[in-house]
Amino acid sequence: MRARGKDALTGYLFLAPFLVLFACFVILPVGISLWLSVVRLDLANASSSQFIGAQNYTDAVGDNFFWMAAQATGKYALLMTPSVLILGTAIALGLHAMSRGREMARALIYLPSMLNVAATGILWQWFLNNEFGLFNYVIKKLGGQSVPWLTDANMAMPSIVLMSLWWTVGGTSVIILTALQQIPKMFFEAAALDGATERQIFGKVMLPLLKPVLLFVFVTTTIASFQMFGQAMILTAGGPTFSTRGLVQYMFETAFNGYRFGYGAAISWLLFAGIAVFSVAQARLLRSRGDL
Amino acid sequence: MRKRLGSFHIHALLWGIVALVVVTGVARQVLNGSVGPSSKTRLAFWNGFTGPDGIVMLRMIEDFNRKNPDVQVVMQRIPWATYYNKLTVAGSDGRGPEVFIVHADAMPRIRRAGFLGDLSPLYGPGMLDPADFDPYVVQQMDFAGKKLGVPLDVHPQGLYVNKAMMRAAGYKHPPRDKAEFLDLLAKTTIEEGPNTPQKQWGFAFTYWGANFRSLVPQFGGRYTDPQGNAVLNSAENVRALEFLETIAREKKAPPADNGLGWFGFRTQRVAMVWDGVFMLGDLMRLNDLEYVGAPVPKIGPKPGAFGNSHVLCVKRALNPKQQDAATRFIAYLSDHSLEWAAAGQVPARKSIRSLPEFQKLQVQAAFAEQVPHVLFPPRTPVIFEFMLEMDRAVERVVRGQAKPKQALDEANKNAQAVIDRDRREHPEVLP
Repeated sequence: MRARGKDALTGYLFLAPFLVLFACFVILPVGISLWLSVVRLDLANASSSQFIGAQNYTDAVGDNFFWMAAQATGKYALLMTPSVLILGTAIALGLHAMSRGREMARALIYLPSMLNVAATGILWQWFLNNEFGLFNYVIKKLGGQSVPWLTDANMAMPSIVLMSLWWTVGGTSVIILTALQQIPKMFFEAAALDGATERQIFGKVMLPLLKPVLLFVFVTTTIASFQMFGQAMILTAGGPTFSTRGLVQYMFETAFNGYRFGYGAAISWLLFAGIAVFSVAQARLLRSRGDL
Repeated sequence: MRKRLGSFHIHALLWGIVALVVVTGVARQVLNGSVGPSSKTRLAFWNGFTGPDGIVMLRMIEDFNRKNPDVQVVMQRIPWATYYNKLTVAGSDGRGPEVFIVHADAMPRIRRAGFLGDLSPLYGPGMLDPADFDPYVVQQMDFAGKKLGVPLDVHPQGLYVNKAMMRAAGYKHPPRDKAEFLDLLAKTTIEEGPNTPQKQWGFAFTYWGANFRSLVPQFGGRYTDPQGNAVLNSAENVRALEFLETIAREKKAPPADNGLGWFGFRTQRVAMVWDGVFMLGDLMRLNDLEYVGAPVPKIGPKPGAFGNSHVLCVKRALNPKQQDAATRFIAYLSDHSLEWAAAGQVPARKSIRSLPEFQKLQVQAAFAEQVPHVLFPPRTPVIFEFMLEMDRAVERVVRGQAKPKQALDEANKNAQAVIDRDRREHPEVLP
């Protein structure tokens, strides 16, 4: 009994460095941000902080910029999540079907995921530049008209999604490919013996078996989409006229440029609530349609 | 045996952690100079000079340290994007640097944080002569009767012109007024053809908000009235914005795009841009681009340009030794701001700007002509939100989404709401 207690103590001691860091850098900041969201705190005058209850939250509800940012975030998530899911699955299926050069193709597709957002953003800024960019140069060479990739409010968000897809779809496709490769071949062979067509095998065998992974990708991509920041910050700085300024950028600018830490913290908690609601709803919706 | 080994590992790990903490703690103290025989006064100097300007500043500091053996200045460079947050947090609880750089427009906000020291004595007899600074620039240092900083430079926006394109259009000098500017713009705008595979633009917006701010003083406009209320929608500001609207509406410039103007200029696809003197460092690295600097053309009834300053400030409540060292250091940097000019800046001191060596720096000298007419951003603690409203109004106009009066009316209403909110939340009177 004493030995077991000692073993447990040993375990806790080994866990201690992680737990201390986790408590300091995760639990404590989360607690502080919750407290910040109910006070008025100006970074330039921290001593004058004042408890104001839910006022930061009610201010957000009446703030046009908050709703513009929420709309931009929603638009990005709506475009990005299905795109990455469909394209990622298509690429994974293509790679899975390849008999030669699969490793090379997989490495090439995965390569952009290794870049950081700053490098990716700067690269794509020159691709998408209206006047001097590569894409419009090619389009014009082929006899087409210049596309206002980043200067038109309706085009800017799809352009950011395009860049994000190039940047992240490699990682998604590798995850789906791994799941595909783990499906035992006998399922496909049995279905083929029963006379199933390729479409039926895909719809009735492959997709249901991929569902846990697709759910994982769906939920994580949705969460990542809600947190979109670097792409828009670098490509458009949130423009044209704030049409691509998402909630994270608004929160960042409010807290770190405007110094309104309390209001910034409230925006972050509202974003968290939104992500939580969507994630739970997605998981329930997908689970209700199959036995995951 | 297994038990003993396990126990040994845990003890070794714990003692290792303790030893590491002690060793790193002592090392930090020694490196910081708190322990040891050194009698030097140590000054931490923070700034955001992370580009080539930081190398020039480092050289100036090394010279100062050599000439002042009793002082050790240690520079910390932090990217501007995060600089003010770190400075404000560190300064607010007393951990801030002894000397630091603040942009003139950030001073009201940093002052509110309560750690800006009084530098009025530095302007006394035998020290810096206030008359050696332009009156408007040195006024920006005044807060409640005290001078809270020393302007190291003034960085105005100016006109960069591609020399080859200018000459090809028959001009021997950069445009000086509206007529010349529009004429050269038209002559250097060349459609695609056999000799120009891609369209060449005569002018492009760089940062449209700053381009607008260069026109505001030319039309006699201001951002706030003497009471600090927003006057963005004044008739003068509307006229200034109408000029940019015309440029955009008549497609005399490509649609405003983030970073497009400067990229176009440095890749020789745009003949003229208005940008800050600090962009010179970028051009200095190019070998195949011949350019010339000039004041922003006089579009309105009088000359003028947007500008700002890097201001040298000190922490409040320095001890006498630190105060003396900081004073000497600031005076040294100000006296040697000719070296700073080489980094692509315009010294704030008139006596330095009049030196023949400075006049040889073509772009800096040309941009310096604008210093007497420069207009700084408004002096308000809510500078970020205020500028955001103004820039949004300009963007809506140059994108054809709103007329200048309408956009500036809305911006003024929103900016005033921000000012009113700030007054409600911060009724305290600062010393």
